[in-house]
Amino acid sequence: MEKPRVAFFDFASCEGCQLQVINLEEDLLKVLEAVDVVTFREAMKEHSDNYDIAFVEGAITRKSDEERLKGIRANAGVLVALGSCATLGGITCLKNFHDQEYVRKLVYGDKASHYETYPSRPLNAVVPVDFKIHGCPINRDEFAMVVKALLLGKNPEINNFPVCVECKMAENICVFEKGMTCMGPVTRAGCGACCVTEGSFCWGCRGLVDDPNADSQREVLATHGLSVQDILGSFRLYTGFSEVAK
Amino acid sequence: MELQLIEKSDHDLFVQNLINNYQVEGVKPKDGSFIYGSIKAPEELCLDFDCTLISPKKYFLPPKEALLQFALTPDSEITPLIENDPFILFGVHPYDIKAINQMDRIFARGVPDPHYLQRREAALVIGVDPTAVAPRSFWADMGASTVSEGFDLMFTDMGEHFIVEIGTNRGRNLLEEHAKLKPATTDDARERVRIRSRISHICKKRGFAFPKRDIPKLLEHSWNNFLWEEQASKCLSCGTCNIVCPTCYCFDVEDHVDLDLAHGERIRRWDGCLLQDFAAVATGENFRETRASRYRHRFFRKGHYLFEILDDLACVGCGRCASGCLPDIADPVNLFNKLKEG
Repeated sequence: MEKPRVAFFDFASCEGCQLQVINLEEDLLKVLEAVDVVTFREAMKEHSDNYDIAFVEGAITRKSDEERLKGIRANAGVLVALGSCATLGGITCLKNFHDQEYVRKLVYGDKASHYETYPSRPLNAVVPVDFKIHGCPINRDEFAMVVKALLLGKNPEINNFPVCVECKMAENICVFEKGMTCMGPVTRAGCGACCVTEGSFCWGCRGLVDDPNADSQREVLATHGLSVQDILGSFRLYTGFSEVAK
Repeated sequence: MELQLIEKSDHDLFVQNLINNYQVEGVKPKDGSFIYGSIKAPEELCLDFDCTLISPKKYFLPPKEALLQFALTPDSEITPLIENDPFILFGVHPYDIKAINQMDRIFARGVPDPHYLQRREAALVIGVDPTAVAPRSFWADMGASTVSEGFDLMFTDMGEHFIVEIGTNRGRNLLEEHAKLKPATTDDARERVRIRSRISHICKKRGFAFPKRDIPKLLEHSWNNFLWEEQASKCLSCGTCNIVCPTCYCFDVEDHVDLDLAHGERIRRWDGCLLQDFAAVATGENFRETRASRYRHRFFRKGHYLFEILDDLACVGCGRCASGCLPDIADPVNLFNKLKEG
């Protein structure tokens, strides 16, 4: 069997998700035995437009990105969105809640007129996306799981239960009991509740579960002292592109 | 009933002897709460806890475990993975022992589950009577203040010393080999009864406003009660009530293949009936699509379906679900009392 040809691309992002792939360490070597990586700007200088699977990091933040993404979509048999910016719009969508002219000037100053921008969006707002690997950054094990599923011709099984499940299994005391607040009850698991385990709280980087009870989550946040503005902010940090954050 | 006595000053020596000879798992403090974990020194072991975050069921049914290994060859070689390394589980409250007793029956029914049963067989369980009651506990009302089986030894803190009840010959051998013992007198036995009823009395502040054996009948008449919908409207479908419950044992099974695509493992991991996809099947159908149907299912499971198998409620009153539920709708005491009110 010929190895599938794999390419990595990025749009507006920190490129941290591609770094996670490079950080697979031992597993990276196994991945490289199973697939041919033909394009990966962060890791190699070669490039090819002939590929089967495209992993795309980053959000679409300007009109001219659309053409490039459509080109990738046309070349790839399978397109996988890599990380929150690509799957959800992620934190890049925070700018959508400001005047676009204002944010353009804020970033580019007196050179603003040279740079285009428009409200940020996830990949699937522009082209069909076959699979999503959520997270900011992605979880390496989940990336490996998706690669294996694609190699076997299976649909990757992406969790649809909240972080609370993994957090309880990790035997963390609930963030709310520690006097903080947390997006874990509505956020898609798969991270092993790493942030809570390390003493922080869930920021919601993997996006919402398929059917989040946003009303109940808002009520829980309000009961634990958050203002309406803070609650909105909690939803907007990563899922600003979704309806619940509007 | 056979009782022995260990002076508190001799207790550390007993624990140290166990550590020297066995893998010892017990209760340790964590961030103001308690968890079960490995005990490497006597001072790590905590016996005066109110309740742990999750129950000791994790030792017999781990959150995630490999059931077997397979090779993707034409004759698909399969190697079962069975863990049965002996260990001591030190410090299990009677309500959690009651839950283990129920799980022992569940996993031995029908096709016995060797993964669970062999781990269970490998464990020596040392119970301990509670010295404190968690705010949402109601084990006294669930008849779980004491248990008559399911432990090898049972400790009771009497202040200056521990009284130890011997449950099995394995327990007796362990005690005689590793502890400095004194015989317990009938006065000690009487004092233990008094101490137990005092703590049980504190726990009785929470409970059902009616006999708990009426719960299966109550549920039979409550299928269409408005409460399911009303309460479940706040349900986050987060599965916390399932995960922390000592009598929730549902799991999902997945096959995980290595990157070489030649070998793999069959994994099982805890699942929970409150989670959205719990009853989803391959065709995309979901037998319990709504929050209310999932919420109702959990109470029917604890109070009706499993009652038919166990002749007892599949709830031991630990209160973990109640204290873990952010919108506070998981508490069996509140729900069943409300149902009874109509």
